[in-house]
Amino acid sequence: MKSTPHNLVMSALYNGRKAERPPVGSPTSIVCHGLMDAAGVSFPQAHLDANAMADLALAGHEIVGFDTVMPEYSVHQESAALGCEVHWGDRDNMPDGKTFPYADFSDINVPEHMLEKPSMRVVLDALSVLKRTVGDKVAVVGKVMGPWTLSYHMAGTQNFLLQIGMGEKEKVIMMMRQLMPVTIAFAKAQFQAGADVVCLADHVTGDLAGPYHYEELLLPLHKEITLQIGGPLILHVCGDCTDRLELFAEAGFDAYHFEWQMDAKKVVEKVGNRMSLVGCINNAQVLYQGTPDDAYKQARYAVEAGVNIIGPECAIPLATPLENLKAIVSAINEGY
Amino acid sequence: MGDHLDQIRDAVISGKHKEIEELVKAAIEDNVELNNLINDAMIAAMDVVGRKFADGDIFVPEMLVSAVTMKKGLDLIKPLLKDEDTQSKGTIIMCTVKGDIHDIGKNLVIMMLEGAGFTVIDLGVDLTVETLIQKVEEIKPDILGLSALLTTTMPEMKHVMETLGSKGLRDTLKVMVGGAPVDATFAEKIGADGYGKDAAEAVKLVRDFVSAK
Repeated sequence: MKSTPHNLVMSALYNGRKAERPPVGSPTSIVCHGLMDAAGVSFPQAHLDANAMADLALAGHEIVGFDTVMPEYSVHQESAALGCEVHWGDRDNMPDGKTFPYADFSDINVPEHMLEKPSMRVVLDALSVLKRTVGDKVAVVGKVMGPWTLSYHMAGTQNFLLQIGMGEKEKVIMMMRQLMPVTIAFAKAQFQAGADVVCLADHVTGDLAGPYHYEELLLPLHKEITLQIGGPLILHVCGDCTDRLELFAEAGFDAYHFEWQMDAKKVVEKVGNRMSLVGCINNAQVLYQGTPDDAYKQARYAVEAGVNIIGPECAIPLATPLENLKAIVSAINEGY
Repeated sequence: MGDHLDQIRDAVISGKHKEIEELVKAAIEDNVELNNLINDAMIAAMDVVGRKFADGDIFVPEMLVSAVTMKKGLDLIKPLLKDEDTQSKGTIIMCTVKGDIHDIGKNLVIMMLEGAGFTVIDLGVDLTVETLIQKVEEIKPDILGLSALLTTTMPEMKHVMETLGSKGLRDTLKVMVGGAPVDATFAEKIGADGYGKDAAEAVKLVRDFVSAK
């Protein structure tokens, strides 16, 4: 195998052939002030303009040395297209959804030309720009929201979880079933636009919901989604998900992006060869508040644990020092 | 009386939000002491709910329904309480700091604290330090609770602590912090008085603050 960044990532996604080092990459945002300055692009421009989006993603490879480029920095591209009012943030603030248009759980109106809505088209265009730029050298990563997360955005997180608690199973499944085609269509379009792999973020996190909620309400939908989307998929769910790792594997995802609060060695042991693993350098204490040495040590621990692709556990805080991200790359360059 | 209390406690624990009102009305008609209804049924139930949540036996959906169930019951009891029975155990201001709009954790803490007999003033989300200081000066709370879900908004908690100090308000109240990225080390680092891992811990923290006064 030629050990290009692209090949390292793709092989690691299937726990395949190894080269002299594991890949370093992230399916979620690695944008920080240092990266914005280096790329000459800031927020909100990098959420709204395809070339700015692509430039910022490219800086993650060219400036930091990651093997992936991922141009979607918010979780609101689909919800904006579905009618949520989104404030796109600024240099210091990530975007936020301000309204919940389906708090009453009425039928979701999916626009006929949804992929042409500006917030979705911009991602597809950025992926195409990136593919044209990096070709087959660097792994191009897309990102979509799953039906659980989209339901948070449509109905409000507390409202959605309360309905589940009240036993309104049909209501919540109906909402997710109406949203599932959005996830599938956006992921397929991202592959067509140039993505080599797509991250599917669906926040059925251990902080909010139980494994039994996942198994009953979302696992059947995830099985359908992974069957219908042909390309490789990385599932992203934050929080402690130790109690549902086997279910994620059963759903048919190729990889799982996980957090440091789950011990990497235990996660690798539990998942075995059923899924690859991506992560898991801690954001709050290490990348944001820690030193390059802290990031280096965690990256080495992740390599030794057998994590397939090493990178931050989730979208990093905007004030993360660039040096801490570079320390991950230094640790990975030492090889296995 | 025991039957009523047991039934109401069980209804709150298992989130029987459709049945709670009938159960509370029946208890009131049978002249069950209102304070017993609050302390031995409602608060006792939410203590159990808090423990089950902390142990990972239940998650936010079940906790939310228990809180809603408790609130429905309390709404029937509160208008009947005499003045001497309604004395608050303490006043708490709660908010999510500027830049952060997440509020489930804060809302759960508020529901649990209200259930436990405290007066809670919810200042909402994305709250500027200027508004917060103005409210602290106006309300003079015993305790201030700050919440943040995002690592990006943790520094705002430090900013609030520094501003409380510079305005001479720091010693007038206790400050507790919470939220997914926050921990006890961070709380100590910014000079807060305590950290709660979840809603049940926040209630325990508040009880400790009040009993130490």
